[in-house]
Amino acid sequence: MRLHEHEALDIFEELGIPVPRRGVAGTMHEALHLAGEIGYPVMLKAQVLVGGRGFAGGIKTASTPEELKNMADVLLGSEIKGMPVRKILVCEKAEVAQELYVGITVDGYSGTPVIVVSTEGGVRIEETAGTAPEKLASMHIDPSFGYYPYQARRMLRMLNIPQSLISAWTDVIGQLYKAAENYEALICEINPLVVLPNGGLLAVDAVLEVDDSAISRIRQPLPDRIERIENPLEKRGKEIGVTYVDLDGDIGIISSGAGLGMASMDIIGEKMKPANFLETGGGITAELLYRCMDLIMRKPGIRGIFINVYGGINPIHEGAKGVVRYIQEHNLQLPIVAKALGNRQEETWEIFRSAGVHVVTETATEKAVAKLYELVGKN
Amino acid sequence: MSILIDDSTRVIVQGITGRIGTAQTHWMLDYGTKIVGGVTPGKGGSIVEGVPVFDSVEEAVRQTGANASVFFVPAAFVLDAFLETIDAGIKLIVIVPEHIPVQDVIRMRSYAADRGVFALGPTTPGILVPGKGKMGIMPASLFAPGRVGIISRSGTLSYEFAGILSEINVGQSTVIGMGADPVVLRNLADILELFEQDEGTDAVIIVGEVGGEQEEKAAGFISRKMSKPVAAYIAGRHSPQGKRMGHAGAIVRGTSGTVDAKHEALRAAGAEVLDSPIHAAQWAKKHKLQ
Repeated sequence: MRLHEHEALDIFEELGIPVPRRGVAGTMHEALHLAGEIGYPVMLKAQVLVGGRGFAGGIKTASTPEELKNMADVLLGSEIKGMPVRKILVCEKAEVAQELYVGITVDGYSGTPVIVVSTEGGVRIEETAGTAPEKLASMHIDPSFGYYPYQARRMLRMLNIPQSLISAWTDVIGQLYKAAENYEALICEINPLVVLPNGGLLAVDAVLEVDDSAISRIRQPLPDRIERIENPLEKRGKEIGVTYVDLDGDIGIISSGAGLGMASMDIIGEKMKPANFLETGGGITAELLYRCMDLIMRKPGIRGIFINVYGGINPIHEGAKGVVRYIQEHNLQLPIVAKALGNRQEETWEIFRSAGVHVVTETATEKAVAKLYELVGKN
Repeated sequence: MSILIDDSTRVIVQGITGRIGTAQTHWMLDYGTKIVGGVTPGKGGSIVEGVPVFDSVEEAVRQTGANASVFFVPAAFVLDAFLETIDAGIKLIVIVPEHIPVQDVIRMRSYAADRGVFALGPTTPGILVPGKGKMGIMPASLFAPGRVGIISRSGTLSYEFAGILSEINVGQSTVIGMGADPVVLRNLADILELFEQDEGTDAVIIVGEVGGEQEEKAAGFISRKMSKPVAAYIAGRHSPQGKRMGHAGAIVRGTSGTVDAKHEALRAAGAEVLDSPIHAAQWAKKHKLQ
């Protein structure tokens, strides 16, 4: 779960990282009031959970109350990359002498936490890695021992950071590491970390993504993970315990595995357009598949359904019963193609066929997609 | 020949008394796997599917001579059970459960590496050696004995590729799920190395997906060390950026982990990129794999 910038800033502040004076506004009047307290000029930043917000017009500077009125009005209620802007962060505009970067992430390949620092902040760090690797230093942390300040000092010396900055920057890195530990973060980042004209540091943006698998044991209070999902269908998916990703086509997809679901999307995407990606994970029951059918059918304009399941850990014959019940109760007339292989496959085929589902018994998903294309094309 | 599982492999099932543990023990025994015991703390002395259950891994090892373990333990208890298993001297561990916190996986990986333990997962279907045995949840009917190795980040896609090959009588030497989490216990290159050394494997298929950099990093190993033909498929060409596609590790961030980046690295290393699973059949015919 990714936290909003203002939530992450609150957490960083509590751990002692210097952050700007700020507040969160849901209306133009609240924004005006906050800006009055903070003092102009102020930054207005849309609180949406997508990357690249600045390029999409989600970050603005207001120098006067009049400017702020217009900008806040435009921002609130607008959409940034498809996400509605409900709140804006109003914060002091820092004077920038230099922009730095510091981030802690998990390096999947070495299987350790890694700290990355850069003397070039405010841009995508991957770009810096490609264009100016000398401005970037990183360090893997031994999971048995954790982080020690000498590691930060070493990285900063490698980047030729002036001695006067090393102590303050080392403190920030240590506190950020603490945040990453406390929240079991997959990403914990300040970009940019601003150097002020007086030499002080200020974290003017914050990213914190909590490991979903660890949420139940994190001691600090966290926002409700399901409540904040914007897309109502994706929210419903989380409620019933499946992964649902909303897409913009008209073919519904149910799969019993993530890889299989992605492959199905790719093959369907050649000639048709997926409307959604629904992956059940392990633990299929008749009830769950009934709910999955209900969920994919909530999307308007579905023209066909593709079911791709394997009976390994999943009792697919149970799942088939749920699909059939949904079809019968709703008198569903769409073309539905199912490929179901593995344990108890013959029983599963019989159940599907009883409700008019077209069963494909060959392994290659392409063959089943071809059948669906033939049927949907006829409609 | 095969890798990881052979006639000397004696398997225990951890979490054997749970619903999934019991059902999967049944299927593994059915496939001929030498399962010698199960472990569930507090349930020692009982029998599941004809197999004795022990309270601790140490006791199971002492009584049965077990040297491998497959996990059906709830995610919250996996780290504890994993450390216990390594301390009891087991050298091959398969972690089937999903949703294990990344911080736990990091600790597990470090502990296993320091002690020379080979562990797979989390979120893996396991290992299957056609005709010999399996540690995990793969549906056995889709597999056939032969000489093609398969390594997959996705359980269901490993079944898909094995099934496509089996239908044209191209069997598999060993099929391995490496797991779909952001951090897994063993990297792709490590497993490729086992296949390269295996006399029973003539060629290898890598089944990857968006997210992470396992495939990109393995490309270096392929170009330097692999003498056998390698084919690769990457799922997720149509996955929207920034969305987790079911697997915890399957997410494209910025420019990293994309299908294009993986294709480019694999092609440059000399692997043949398969645009779609069904192309595995043509590839196998071209290389005369049987």
